[in-house]
Amino acid sequence: MKFLLSLAWKNLSRYRRRTTITAVALAVGVAVFIWMDGWLLGAELESRRNIIWYEAGAAKVLNQEYLEQIQNLPLKQVVEDAAGVERALASLGLEATRRAVFSGELFLGEGSLFVKAVALDPATDGRVFRLQETVRQGRFLQTGEPETLLGEWLARDLGAAVGDWVTVRARSRFGAFQTLDLQIVGILNCPNPVINQGTIFLPLDLADQALELEGAVSEIALAFPEWQEPEARLGQIRRALAGFPELAVADWQELARDFLAIAEGKRAGTGMLLLLIFIIAAVGISNTMLMAVYERVREIGMMRALGMRDLSIRLAFLLEAGGIGLIGSALGLVLGAALNWYMVRWGLDLSAFIGDMQVGYRVHSVFRSAWHPQALVGAVVFGVLASMLISFIPSSRALRKRITDCLRHV
Amino acid sequence: MIRVDKVTKEYRTDHTAVRALRGVSLEIRAGEFMAIAGPSGSGKTTLLNLIGCLDVPSTGEIYIAGEAVSGKSRIELATLRRQKLGFVFQTFNLIPVLSAYENVSFALSLLGVDGRELRERTLRALKEVGLAGLEKRKPGELSGGQQQRVAIARALVKEPQILLADEPTANLDSDTGREILDLMAALNQTHGTTFVFSTHDPMVMELAHRLVMLHDGAIR
Ligand SMILES: Nc1ncnc2c1ncn2[C@@H]1O[C@H](COP(=O)(O)OP(=O)(O)OP(=O)(O)O)[C@@H](O)[C@H]1O
Ligand SMILES: [Mg+2]
Repeated sequence: MKFLLSLAWKNLSRYRRRTTITAVALAVGVAVFIWMDGWLLGAELESRRNIIWYEAGAAKVLNQEYLEQIQNLPLKQVVEDAAGVERALASLGLEATRRAVFSGELFLGEGSLFVKAVALDPATDGRVFRLQETVRQGRFLQTGEPETLLGEWLARDLGAAVGDWVTVRARSRFGAFQTLDLQIVGILNCPNPVINQGTIFLPLDLADQALELEGAVSEIALAFPEWQEPEARLGQIRRALAGFPELAVADWQELARDFLAIAEGKRAGTGMLLLLIFIIAAVGISNTMLMAVYERVREIGMMRALGMRDLSIRLAFLLEAGGIGLIGSALGLVLGAALNWYMVRWGLDLSAFIGDMQVGYRVHSVFRSAWHPQALVGAVVFGVLASMLISFIPSSRALRKRITDCLRHV
Repeated sequence: MIRVDKVTKEYRTDHTAVRALRGVSLEIRAGEFMAIAGPSGSGKTTLLNLIGCLDVPSTGEIYIAGEAVSGKSRIELATLRRQKLGFVFQTFNLIPVLSAYENVSFALSLLGVDGRELRERTLRALKEVGLAGLEKRKPGELSGGQQQRVAIARALVKEPQILLADEPTANLDSDTGREILDLMAALNQTHGTTFVFSTHDPMVMELAHRLVMLHDGAIR
């Protein structure tokens, strides 16, 4: 075994250029894998955080019928007794805030634009959402005032600035058209692009009056102290809301189905790409091993003539391929980790490419990676094992030959 | 010690069959220094390969130390070669990345010898073939004659009962070839190892103690 190891090593260093090229090919594969995987994970974690912090909370209580057609934002299906719901949930120790959500047409100067309007309670919104922290210009909303907040991208599209007045036209709960004149008091720069792009915010009491809500809201958003283990929580909430059969509880995953679907699709797509990269690396290794075996057929014949066992000969090439695999994977690990480190530390600003495009991920311009230890270890283990496995093909071929034919080989 | 009994060997390719040996019978006794001679294509290599258990006869039987070779498995044949036979090839067939020392010790380590014994026996074998001091050289740093000496040391280090050499001098100039043959003869004397080698060189035939002439796959 020790002999075989040293033989493998000597053969690898003898064909240094070939070893290097093959190892580098594998290293690039491993590095790209680590890089992409970390990027994907980072985008997912950040999206998840931005969905929970700015979009969905940990979960929402809403009308069952509203949930079924949530993309239309119907004001007809509401949570009637918001105070009663909050009382029922009080014993669970959750933070809660009320929101009314509707679609409306926003007018500014000559132009108009359809937007999603979120009426929130300025006093309690911060218990569930972190919108307040994203105000870049001006200030947050105040109760009772005809005010609005706009995302930065939306403001830019409209050419709106703090202090401007806008008009919002929307249908009330009972279908009548209403107009609200609102002054822009603040511009948000939210890390969640969905918020930045097409959402405006206004105080809940103002919307309540204008849209004839009479205390009803679209949703009661909840924050869990520990949002990672929501299953049990959801059960508790459902039990607590037994007296409200028309209501439903939806966690952030259900509310952000579009994101999850896209994330899954991307993961599958990237999986294909990674497979391709690994196939290229595998072809490189198998080609190198094929050459290594082919030019040593006579050597193999000699070893067999001297009574070396087939298994040992196989092992010799397996170790050689494993050596390339190890060098390549280690190199790839270093390279990939360095790339990932950069991506974690500094991220990559894609705003120039993405702009206002919807990419599904709730990541605002700068994509940051995350560390994924399993992927680091997995890539190296896979690189080494796959290389070893591949060496079986050419060495089997040489061992199928008759010894005399091996010895006659030129 | 080795008995070749009415052996034939036929090589079949897709549409032709070559009869390389046509019923060869031969007895090789322990300690012999024997040459198999004959023109090119007469079957020398084929016969040596069969004796060396590198290939199996089409018909007939070969006995090594009283044991019939046919019917042995691939693994049993490998064991037999490892333990009882030594090979020297026309083209030396050393492992280019290993030093002379490692090329020799490799063969011995196949028998499970290791540590101090491995070292001593390897160095002794190299010294016997006149390569003391060149142990660290790689094959590429040795002359043809020196490489063949390494190959002889590699075969000899296991102390095989029989050493088979297919045209061991064909790739060497005549002076060097003669030196190699003298070395083999000396080793035959000191160790009593049986030597069987093939050649078509008249000078080499002269030095053999026994000469078997092959012609068209048959002994004449
Ligand atoms: N693997 C093979 N397949 C087909 N025919 C073969 C094979 N090996 C040898 N032969 C044929 O068998 C005959 C004997 O060949 P062999 O190599 O034993 O001769 P040789 O006496 O060693 O010749 P040389 O002096 O040229 O080495 C030749 O006609 C050769 O063409
Ligand atoms: Mg021959």
